[in-house]
Amino acid sequence: MLVASILLAFAATPLPTGAIDRTLPNGLEVTIVPDRSMPLVATQIWIHVGSANEDADSRGLAHLFEHLMFGGSAAYAKGDYSKFVTAAGGDENAFTSEDETVYVSEVPPDAVEGVIRREADRLRNLIVSQANLDNEKKIVTEELRLRTENDPMARLLVKAQKALLGRHPYAFDPSGSKEDVQRTTVEGARAFYDRYYRPNEAHVVIAGPVDPDASLALVEETFGRIESGGQGASDVPPLYGWPFPGKLALKEDIPPVEVALVGVPLPPADAPDAWAVEVLLKLLTGREVDPAREIVVTKRRKAIEAGIEAISLRRGGGIVFYSASLPYRREATALRILDETIRELDKKEWLSDASLAAAKRSLLLEETREHRFAEALADRVGRERWWRGDAGLAFTRAARIGAVSREDVAAAWDRYVRDGARIRVYVKPEHVPFAIRMFGWLYPLFS
Amino acid sequence: MALPALLLSAAALAGVGATVDPAAEVVAWTVDAGTSAALVEDHRAPTITVRIEFPAGKYSPWVRAHHAVEAFEHQDDDPARALKKRADALAAEVSLEVDDRAATIEGTCLSADLDALLALMKDVLTNRDYDEKELRRAGREQSIEWKGNDTNVSFRMHQSVARAMFRDADDPRRLRWEKPPSVETGAAALAEARDALVRIPGRVVGFAGDLTRAQAERAMVGLLPPVDPRAPEGLTPRFGPLVGAAERPKDTPIRIRKLTQVYFALGRDSLPWDDPRRPAYLVANHVLGGHFYSRLYVALRHEGGETYGAGTREEGDVAPGLYAAATFTRAPNAKTTETKLRGVLDVFHAQGITEEERKAAIGYLTGSRAFGRQSPEQILERYLVERRLGLPPGKIDADVDRAAALSLDEINRFIDDFYDPAQFTMVRAVAE
Repeated sequence: MLVASILLAFAATPLPTGAIDRTLPNGLEVTIVPDRSMPLVATQIWIHVGSANEDADSRGLAHLFEHLMFGGSAAYAKGDYSKFVTAAGGDENAFTSEDETVYVSEVPPDAVEGVIRREADRLRNLIVSQANLDNEKKIVTEELRLRTENDPMARLLVKAQKALLGRHPYAFDPSGSKEDVQRTTVEGARAFYDRYYRPNEAHVVIAGPVDPDASLALVEETFGRIESGGQGASDVPPLYGWPFPGKLALKEDIPPVEVALVGVPLPPADAPDAWAVEVLLKLLTGREVDPAREIVVTKRRKAIEAGIEAISLRRGGGIVFYSASLPYRREATALRILDETIRELDKKEWLSDASLAAAKRSLLLEETREHRFAEALADRVGRERWWRGDAGLAFTRAARIGAVSREDVAAAWDRYVRDGARIRVYVKPEHVPFAIRMFGWLYPLFS
Repeated sequence: MALPALLLSAAALAGVGATVDPAAEVVAWTVDAGTSAALVEDHRAPTITVRIEFPAGKYSPWVRAHHAVEAFEHQDDDPARALKKRADALAAEVSLEVDDRAATIEGTCLSADLDALLALMKDVLTNRDYDEKELRRAGREQSIEWKGNDTNVSFRMHQSVARAMFRDADDPRRLRWEKPPSVETGAAALAEARDALVRIPGRVVGFAGDLTRAQAERAMVGLLPPVDPRAPEGLTPRFGPLVGAAERPKDTPIRIRKLTQVYFALGRDSLPWDDPRRPAYLVANHVLGGHFYSRLYVALRHEGGETYGAGTREEGDVAPGLYAAATFTRAPNAKTTETKLRGVLDVFHAQGITEEERKAAIGYLTGSRAFGRQSPEQILERYLVERRLGLPPGKIDADVDRAAALSLDEINRFIDDFYDPAQFTMVRAVAE
């Protein structure tokens, strides 16, 4: 199995027949995946900059800039892009994460040319005006109030992210903060644009019913004319090995439960054992029967709810074991129960030849369904290129997952969970109803 | 099929040169007096979805009285988790859901696993070994989650609108926003309710994906218990009268702790899906609040930065529900934003839409139909929605064709009637 893994690691990653994966002379990467059975074409422009690449002077700009990109360019007025796509029956949007900013559209085939021309124009010819910046600052501030400030769970996550990650670039909410937004100047926005919005920092993905050669010619005619330049993003340190605090206590206006969490960091998406980690996560988090919930809730009846969740980012991720109890249990007890659960899971009863085969089939099923949708396919291609360095991996995932052995999965568990540095978080609610405060301890007696 | 062979199939999936009929349609047939079947055949990928729909949901008084929601959604929770473990071993996705009008079990698997999936679904639908401890735990969890609704802006606004709009306290459209009664029933009674639910006439078995009609017909054999022709009493939803616009409170404030924004919903009752004016509504709604450069978005976001989001929401079906123009803004800016929101509606009502807007809306409505035709599951779902609501097959798409045939005057006459500001009332969420 090891030999197979090594061979796969060095094997070329062939694209489907007719697909094109190329780097233009200006550094722009282009992947075109034709599929005439799809009714829509997805285009995605991946700009390889996210909130983790911001520094103290540009904090919040990745997200704010995503908004500014809809503000009009040399050849197209503000709103033209959205109106064009909508009138064609399509959909367009964008998202900013810690690792990237992505501009997405899905349109009927005859509208693709218009989308590509508009995307290319705004990549270098965007008009960053004071009036537009001022308006978008107000809009983003309302977005932050909506998504974070007025949502107790989101407030909690942002607080936890900051407290846990400290000085790591992933410590900051990708949406930025109100203070970040207010600090932004036109000069700062233009500098950000000049540094990152360059063909050599971008990847154009087109998937759906297109002629690949004609599509490539169109990308060369439009994006290909743009000069390279700027300065790439600084590298983000991996989460695995980062000195996290061992323990964290938080309080928020959540429903009346106390939540205990034990987390362990995972390696970057391009780590040699990343495929084994993917299968491990499927076995732990992607199935009907959650192995941690079975121990904590079903067998031991120590919590109202429990389970395992996964976090995935380009430079690492995490596995989080959690339990939620009424607010009568002591913090130390709740965290001890999670440690005992991890010890129990270390017996690896969840890992057998049969469960491994089932997990692989499940991943295969997911991928098979994903490939029917142009947008999902384009997203997978863009993500494999940026996160793992090779767009072709989108088409060889099944074989790579197939090569993962039971020993590979066990080794990933041992390294990252059994022997990994654990981070403990305990969350208390701000408001506990009188009845629960007084009588909640009775609950286990009657459950 | 062995895994290596499946992996090869997946490698061939990339789709280039794959053939599919882009106009793949639903083939439907009658199985017995109370059961029908539907198939969307698509051999692009080696997967199959089986979706069995039973014609009773949360709107049904019988379902509520017999805790049939819990009975249906927890029927795969046996104490040993044997059914869920089988799903995991099969790598199948099996889900159980009761929505407003139907109870549905859906399973998806690789084509080679169809027989095993069908056997599992059959065992789920006949399982009587409910885990009573899990039911009690779920009830406790639901009760805690209910507390979270205190600070959930969307929930609180919906609840308030439902109380203002539907006159009867037991109207199902109102009850869906009220705390459900706790389940005191034991496993035997739940199994009985589930058994009755799955035998109600009018059920449909849908197949989508890599199988033929002959395979689908074979799959049906013995899959479901026989239909009981005597449908339970109280099965049909009873929708009470709406409170007239003149009687509704003109302004309902909801107070929620720690809010730093004010949320507005300027609402009325929605237009039923079977109303002949529906095509005109589709155009009007798109122009007013259906896209990123709609009237509401332009006035409230792009021109003044008052908000991050503005648009219309529609939550009814063939029974009228909520229709609202909604937005939000920072608390000190509430008055300005409310004035603009009302102003957009006033102008829309008074002036209607332009020919340019009409053309753009038709372009969107026509082109966007492709979003629902990307997978056989989507095509099947569209068929089932129309069937569930008693609409003629193809009605949803046909309404777009009818919309394209309407003149500007016809659309504006509809706007003059439906968007009369006197029909709309305001619900707002503000800081406690």
